[in-house]
Amino acid sequence: MELKNARMIFWGGTLVSAAIFGWMTYDFHQQGETLAHNSKIDDRVIAGKKVWHKYNCNNCHTILGFGGYYAPDMTKAYYRLGANNIIAIVMNPQEVYRNSFRKMPQLGVTKIEAQNLVAFLHWTANIENRQWPPQDEKYVKAARLRESHPEKLQKTDLVLGACGGCHSFANQGRDIAGDFGEIAKRITYDHDTLIRYMQNPKSVKPDSDMPPQNVSPETAGLIADFILSLR
Amino acid sequence: MTIKYQSQKVALPYMQLSLLLFVLQVIMGLWLAANYAFTLPQGLIDVFSFATSRAIHTNLLVAWMLLGFMGGAYFILPVECERELHSTKVAWLQLILFAAAAVTAVVGFLFGWTQGKPLLEIPVPLDLVIVVAALLFLFNILMTVLQAKNRTVLQWMLVGGVLFLALMYLFGIPFYSSLNTDYYYWWWVIHLWVEGAWELITASIIAFVIIQVTGVERKVVEKWLYVETGLFLFTGIVGTGHHYYWIGAPDYWLWWGGIFSALEPLPILLMVVDTWFHIRERKNPIVNQLLWVYIVALAIFHFIGAGLFGFVHTLPPINYYTHGSQITVSHGHMAFFGAYALLNLTVFYFALPQFKGIERYKATAGYWGFWIMAVSMFLLGLVFGVAGILQVYLERFLDIGYSTAHITMMFWFKVALFFGVCFLAGTLTTVYHLFTLKPVEEERSR
Ligand code: HEC
Ligand code: HEC
Ligand code: HEM
Ligand code: HEM
Ligand SMILES: [Fe+2]
Repeated sequence: MELKNARMIFWGGTLVSAAIFGWMTYDFHQQGETLAHNSKIDDRVIAGKKVWHKYNCNNCHTILGFGGYYAPDMTKAYYRLGANNIIAIVMNPQEVYRNSFRKMPQLGVTKIEAQNLVAFLHWTANIENRQWPPQDEKYVKAARLRESHPEKLQKTDLVLGACGGCHSFANQGRDIAGDFGEIAKRITYDHDTLIRYMQNPKSVKPDSDMPPQNVSPETAGLIADFILSLR
Repeated sequence: MTIKYQSQKVALPYMQLSLLLFVLQVIMGLWLAANYAFTLPQGLIDVFSFATSRAIHTNLLVAWMLLGFMGGAYFILPVECERELHSTKVAWLQLILFAAAAVTAVVGFLFGWTQGKPLLEIPVPLDLVIVVAALLFLFNILMTVLQAKNRTVLQWMLVGGVLFLALMYLFGIPFYSSLNTDYYYWWWVIHLWVEGAWELITASIIAFVIIQVTGVERKVVEKWLYVETGLFLFTGIVGTGHHYYWIGAPDYWLWWGGIFSALEPLPILLMVVDTWFHIRERKNPIVNQLLWVYIVALAIFHFIGAGLFGFVHTLPPINYYTHGSQITVSHGHMAFFGAYALLNLTVFYFALPQFKGIERYKATAGYWGFWIMAVSMFLLGLVFGVAGILQVYLERFLDIGYSTAHITMMFWFKVALFFGVCFLAGTLTTVYHLFTLKPVEEERSR
């Protein structure tokens, strides 16, 4: 082979590939709306993304599968955990993971920052990314079903959607802080005390490790009914 | 053999600093593995977390790689251009800027000063310092090449690779409001570096070393160089698509990304073949065998780490399960070590004896260092791979949840920690050997 031919291979190969890539990049931007709903990015989503960067979350948690592999993927965290659980975990990891084999640092994330994070994770969870990661697809399906048929929303869905990040019931949710079946038998609170406990645990039980929950009074009432009905 | 041009000497501090950062990087790697192997107390991780350590581990990696490339280029270009470097003052200024930015970045990470993007954590003000350093470097090598006594393919390939590298870095600097777009361009840096620009630099540098060491005809080597780099870019540019399967990109990326990236091992295989041919048809005697060992090891480990370990998870149906798992880590380590760590060490073993005017050096410690590193990294790669297969199987196939799947890793990372300590021993031996090269006795008595 002549040097001339070799040079042709170099330039031919490079330019062909660069041209295809350039066109695909153009098309990627064209489809940004369909695939990532870029128009739904509002100030809170952007603020949340900045929080995500500020605390370097991405070097422990993957998102879209990129980053550190040390902690759970965050792509579909919004559907896996729900807003309240995310806020509670991010603000109080030292309590939540007190007994875990792997811990998350207390980063000093403020309430507002945590709320913005939720907006960011909500937007992220809706990227059409061909159902990755595989293990979270069941949460996405369940959450979408609940969103599209609120009338079919069961009480357990509501309760676990709010508290399932730390409590379990009937083999659903995660048992970090106790199963509601057992908790219900143990506690002696009445309806109003239980609501107060959700909103400010320490006001009821000073040595409680449970972080305050961001649930509306109505939801808290429904959850209290549910737990007390398990006695 | 001694250096031919005085300005080549400026490469020495680049190489020494590079080696130092290599040692620090490996120590940080051990600390990362310890985070996996043991349950660390909350108080400790609150002040010095896995996230911080990982940023330091990977940034030190990139820093010592780039220092090695720049030192290598400064060492090679005078010989290749048959003239002194354009300016050694610029080279020194550039080194000081780059080193200052790197040190500030690492100290900054400790205090939470970070851009928060994996591998590209360096905050924007420091990015700008690095851009200035890169511009100085480009200016210096371009001026050198433009005033060269002769024109060679190799010069331009090297300069082209560096230009490509510098250009891609810019895509990582801005803040993107869409995470999807953010990661699209993140890969323009990461992928188009390691599977594009850095491959051009590697191919050029190793072509130079092979011409010098084996004495085979330049024309033959440069022909291979064109074909290999052409194939690298042909497969590698569209091959970027193997990172776009699950970020929310159009469907056809699965095909284009899958097929082109599956062809990426081809040019690496060609490199193995041509290295082997050139060594077989060498015109020069083998003086320092260790250098030849490094050249061959680079070719083979590059192919295993990048080619084979990359290929196994590059097709979409497999990548759906393996994406973002310890399998990625396994490939990342094998590829970075096999391609770029070994490239830099090869260049160091080529250059450092010349600074001291040593013809033949005592190589025992060097051999020990090499074999300990190569074997431990291979085993480390396997251990990460086993941990990854388990993780994928438990978490994504059986779907038994994060905690249950990840707790098994504590055992595998204890094993990784053990091989990591071996690797550190190999690193220290190699670095010690490179810093204290001594001529063999017979030469001294002559
Ligand atoms: C030093 C590493 C580290 C950093 C930094 C970190 N996390 Fe975590 N995070 C963890 C670990 C480890 C877990 C899981 C612990 C367990 O399940 O045992 C976790 C769990 C979580 C969970 C619950 C996930 C689930 O599915 O159970 C959320 C949500 C979370 N982190 C959000 C964040 C956010 C947001 C940030 C940045 C503000 C962040 N993390 C920073 C290590 C980290
Ligand atoms: C971030 C994790 C977390 C979330 C989310 C969470 N809890 Fe808890 N919960 C805990 C912990 C930890 C305890 C154990 C507290 C202790 O006694 O120290 C606990 C205990 C409890 C108890 C028992 C209190 C007692 O006196 O023994 C009740 C009742 C309870 N939680 C209700 C809820 C409800 C209802 C929700 C949802 C609105 C919720 N929790 C959400 C962490 C959580
Ligand atoms: C020397 C060259 C190479 C180096 C240094 C290298 C390095 C890396 C690194 C560090 C990552 C992880 C990035 C991250 O997510 O943080 C990665 C990912 C990947 N590499 Fe390579 N690589 C090389 C060549 C190749 C080749 C030739 C192929 C294909 C044949 C390949 C296939 C892949 C794939 C598919 C992933 C994505 C893994 C995932 O989905 O998580 N790589 N590479
Ligand atoms: C003692 C030896 C080493 C150990 C124990 C070690 C360990 C680790 C660990 C635990 C991680 C984090 C992975 C994760 O996020 O879960 C990591 C990341 C990384 N290390 Fe090392 N490391 C070592 C040496 C090296 C060397 C020599 C290189 C390169 C030549 C290297 C390159 C990398 C890269 C590229 C990443 C990012 C991987 C990715 O994003 O997929 N490491 N290392
Ligand atoms: Fe890639």
